[in-house]
Amino acid sequence: MTHIAELAGKDPLSRRYFMEMSAKLTLGVGLSVPFLPRNLPAQEGGTAKNLIYIYLSGGMTHLDTFDPKRGDVMGNTEVINTNVDNMKMGMHLTELAKQADKLAVINSMFSTNGAHEQGQYIMRTGYEKRATIVHPTVGPWAATLLGESGKVLPDSVVIGRSTSNAGFMEPRLSPLPIADPAGGVPNTDLIVEGDRFTRRMEMAQKLGQQFTEKFKYTGPESYVEYYNQANKLLKSDELSAFDISGENATEYGTTRLGQGCLLARRLVENGVRVVEVISGGWDMHVDVATGTASKLPELDKAVAALLKDLESHGLLDTTLVAIGTEFGRTPDINMNSGRDHYPAAYSCVLAGGGIKGGTVYGSTDGSGKKVKSDPVKPEDFLATIGYGLGLPLDQTVYSPTQRPFTFADKGKPVTKLFG
Amino acid sequence: MKVLIRPFLSGFLAILIVGASSSTVEARTWTSTDGKSLKALFLGIEGDNYKFKLQNGNEITVPKDRFIKADQEAAERLNRIGDDSFTKASSRRIDALLAQNLKENGFSSFNDPLPDDLFVRRVYLDILGRIPTREEFLEFAESARPDKREALIDELLLSPGYASHLFNYFADMYRLHASDFINGVRMDPYIQWWRDSLRENKPYHQIVSELITAEGNVGQNPAAGFLLRDTGMEFDAFANFGQVMLGIDISCAQCHDHPFDEWTQGDFYEMAAFFGNTQRSLGYRPSSAMMGGAFVQMPNAPDGWRDQFMKWAENTKGIVPRDQNSNRFRFFVNALGWNLADNETLETVLPHDFIGSGGKPNEVANPRTLIGDAAKKGGKTRREAISDWLIDPANPRFSLVIANRMWDRAFGRPLVGPVNDFSDDMIRGASQPEVLKFVTSEMRRVNYDLREFMRILYNTRAYQSISTADEPDWADDYFFQGPVLRRMRAEQAWDSMMVLAHGADIDNKRGADGSYYKKVLNIDFNTASNDDVWRHYEMWNGTYAGRMANAVISEGSDTPSFITDTELRASELPQPAPAASMLDTFGQSDRQITDEHNYDGSVPQVLALMNGNITQQLTGISSKVVDDLEEFDGPDDKVRGVFFTLLNRFPSDDELKLGMSMIEDYGDNGISDLAWALMNSPEFLFIQ
Repeated sequence: MTHIAELAGKDPLSRRYFMEMSAKLTLGVGLSVPFLPRNLPAQEGGTAKNLIYIYLSGGMTHLDTFDPKRGDVMGNTEVINTNVDNMKMGMHLTELAKQADKLAVINSMFSTNGAHEQGQYIMRTGYEKRATIVHPTVGPWAATLLGESGKVLPDSVVIGRSTSNAGFMEPRLSPLPIADPAGGVPNTDLIVEGDRFTRRMEMAQKLGQQFTEKFKYTGPESYVEYYNQANKLLKSDELSAFDISGENATEYGTTRLGQGCLLARRLVENGVRVVEVISGGWDMHVDVATGTASKLPELDKAVAALLKDLESHGLLDTTLVAIGTEFGRTPDINMNSGRDHYPAAYSCVLAGGGIKGGTVYGSTDGSGKKVKSDPVKPEDFLATIGYGLGLPLDQTVYSPTQRPFTFADKGKPVTKLFG
Repeated sequence: MKVLIRPFLSGFLAILIVGASSSTVEARTWTSTDGKSLKALFLGIEGDNYKFKLQNGNEITVPKDRFIKADQEAAERLNRIGDDSFTKASSRRIDALLAQNLKENGFSSFNDPLPDDLFVRRVYLDILGRIPTREEFLEFAESARPDKREALIDELLLSPGYASHLFNYFADMYRLHASDFINGVRMDPYIQWWRDSLRENKPYHQIVSELITAEGNVGQNPAAGFLLRDTGMEFDAFANFGQVMLGIDISCAQCHDHPFDEWTQGDFYEMAAFFGNTQRSLGYRPSSAMMGGAFVQMPNAPDGWRDQFMKWAENTKGIVPRDQNSNRFRFFVNALGWNLADNETLETVLPHDFIGSGGKPNEVANPRTLIGDAAKKGGKTRREAISDWLIDPANPRFSLVIANRMWDRAFGRPLVGPVNDFSDDMIRGASQPEVLKFVTSEMRRVNYDLREFMRILYNTRAYQSISTADEPDWADDYFFQGPVLRRMRAEQAWDSMMVLAHGADIDNKRGADGSYYKKVLNIDFNTASNDDVWRHYEMWNGTYAGRMANAVISEGSDTPSFITDTELRASELPQPAPAASMLDTFGQSDRQITDEHNYDGSVPQVLALMNGNITQQLTGISSKVVDDLEEFDGPDDKVRGVFFTLLNRFPSDDELKLGMSMIEDYGDNGISDLAWALMNSPEFLFIQ
């Protein structure tokens, strides 16, 4: 891919750019070189500076959470009231019910993708999965459309994944993957410490000098810079942004999701623009009652703590919090007491970052089987997130192969949720 | 014994190759122990004799022991890879064409020739995909044989590392991905088919033809994996076909006329129609627009086979339909059903929102190619027709695309590019049109033998030059005064670390080969009884639980064993390597789209080199690298030893001094620090 960009003569990493920009490195995955005009028209509505996108991988059941009904379809789940009159929830979301006035619940999501991979792909990129191109997630899009921060910390981080990519955008825009929120950035523990480490670094630099003087290429030079940057990072305070050991995790819960949300708050606080927190275990084909009893309190605790924490840190107004998933789960409980994939109707949630709390948008029929009003597609949901972040939704960005793309594939933002 | 003579060859003197000025083929001169010489083409070894072809076309045999020792060594090598008279004539021809262009563009000649130490590191990395061991390096450096370079190139091309490294290239280009794309179907046998095909040096056009015309599932016919890969995305699969086989990205013509090229939307569907009656799946009609037909039976099985088998399993084996506990059984039956066949009732139908020229919405598209005529004739299936059209010597792009790609592999820069998307205008405007034309015709002459083709390139003076010191701008013409500096591929970096940790034997170590999975799926539905098929299900079920991929089985056995070792070369590991592995961190493609490997550095990457487990394993005080220095006595030789091992070169005086002072001051810790520093200097990761 880089190859193509280079051959097309559009390589942002050309030597000239490199020399100009080499000082601006990020922990992301590369050289921070702004390559798009920054004087963009101000976007209406979007006041959020940051995004925390909590993604529930596997397909969150809509009936047992944010779109509860009456009768057999509910299985063992009872319905509870919230602090907002017209918003009901499943019985496991007791903490969120107390903060419903911060939430905008969309109960009219629908998708055409009944398989996990395809469904998750469109929910995280806004595009249908294809075999000829990879589309970027929100982080690389935001860096491209709003400009890169140029800080030591990356512009975007994905928690709960051990890999990431920037799609057709430059690899340096890839979100930094943090597989285990308690583990921090991988490979930051030194093999040798103190003087000996310094000695090693100096020796490597001396031994490499001859080579970098011999070959005037951006490649080796960029490595010299990455070493400097890594060295700086290892000694810097910024690294501590990834360390949640000093935080009180009780509020969030000691689960992966809870710790992920806690880390997300720390990162946002330290200027990371987009954080995705990915949580697994939502594919409840068997025994949905047990599944929800284990996973929903986890979600409930983590998100409730996050909203409170963001508020007390004064970050809630500028941080958009989103809960997304690839589809809902069948209203009819199957013979294994589970629920299967159900893309025809499901729920997603937004909060903070200019969202009008206490809102229920869209609805399904009495059994949660069909969207009855205000349908929202995955690309509309992504567009809503983009709108919240102030991304210019109609700005075309070209892939290295000159294919035109806009954020969220012309999805329509649900602007009514803001205000 | 294998005699390798190109098929069209009759006489051998003064064969006109191609191009404006002709070049002659000069046969190797063979010397007898009594000082006589023989100029002849070597045909091979027969018993105790060598067989030659003379200038006049006559064949003669001469006893081995009449020749001097150096010639006997050459004969052993050429017997395995073929006479090199034509190879060298081609290399010289390429050099002559390049030299002429260099002069015309103000260069005096090629870059300086590569010294031995840089040569040996480069050819090991380029051909074998890893750095040489210290022993391999020293053996070459100390050899006084005049033909040691061509001999090393041949030896490396014949060794298993060659196929391993080439596999990584095709794995990226063909997006080889092992894990299930639906309900537990895996690609391991298909991936192994690639390993095997490259190991036996199967001609590339034959590889392509087998991929395009395959029938059955990956157990019956592993090559079926190519078209099964994109089941449900048939038009994307066709766009990939265009990129990989024809070197053009036509994906935009799927939705509208190509904005820059001559492709219309109609052209896209008419060519895609060659795959329009390819049925990829089991007994229901897929939702894809590619399949215009109605309900289809499971391919390669009697009508109704699947339903009767499932009914039988329900009645006799207690399989409960739709029960969670029957999932493994259902996945098994699905995996059997994912197989390819040609079905005349299926058609390619233009999409309902067709907006381009050359057709109307919902119209049936008839197969047609833009150039030449590949429409169905002579009883061929559509896929046979497009395959024959593709590999026909008259096809203007197929040979060019693969020749240009192989050139890019050697020089770090293609003759026309990007390699997977260039227009006919770009071919006409290439900076080295004669070279492009010549290597394209050479690809045909060597009958798509990629090893022989690479042998030509590696023997050129252009390749054996020092890398160009200043990075050429991609927008400018490049004249190939030498290769450009390249960063190692992720696989080269990993395989180099593996050889540092385990020695050269790593090249012979094998990983999981998909054999057990292949056996499970390999069923002839026309003859197998339900009990037979059930036995295959028991094999499937018995090794399920995620272990299927690493289950291997030897011929004649029913009991699998499991490969758990991950200290293997990249090509032997699961494809692609797991997320966050060293390979992933260094840019290995995730195999979602073609040619996705990236060469960029990153902070996480250098953190892995600085502090990762592998670095500690390779440079720690008890590592193989440090341990092996025991055999050297003085601190100066120890420093040289570290340089030989990690950078395959002699240290400069300053470097030697620096290293010695480290050892004097810090002992073994100093050696460990030096090894760490060399692994963490940019030189380690680059191919100069």
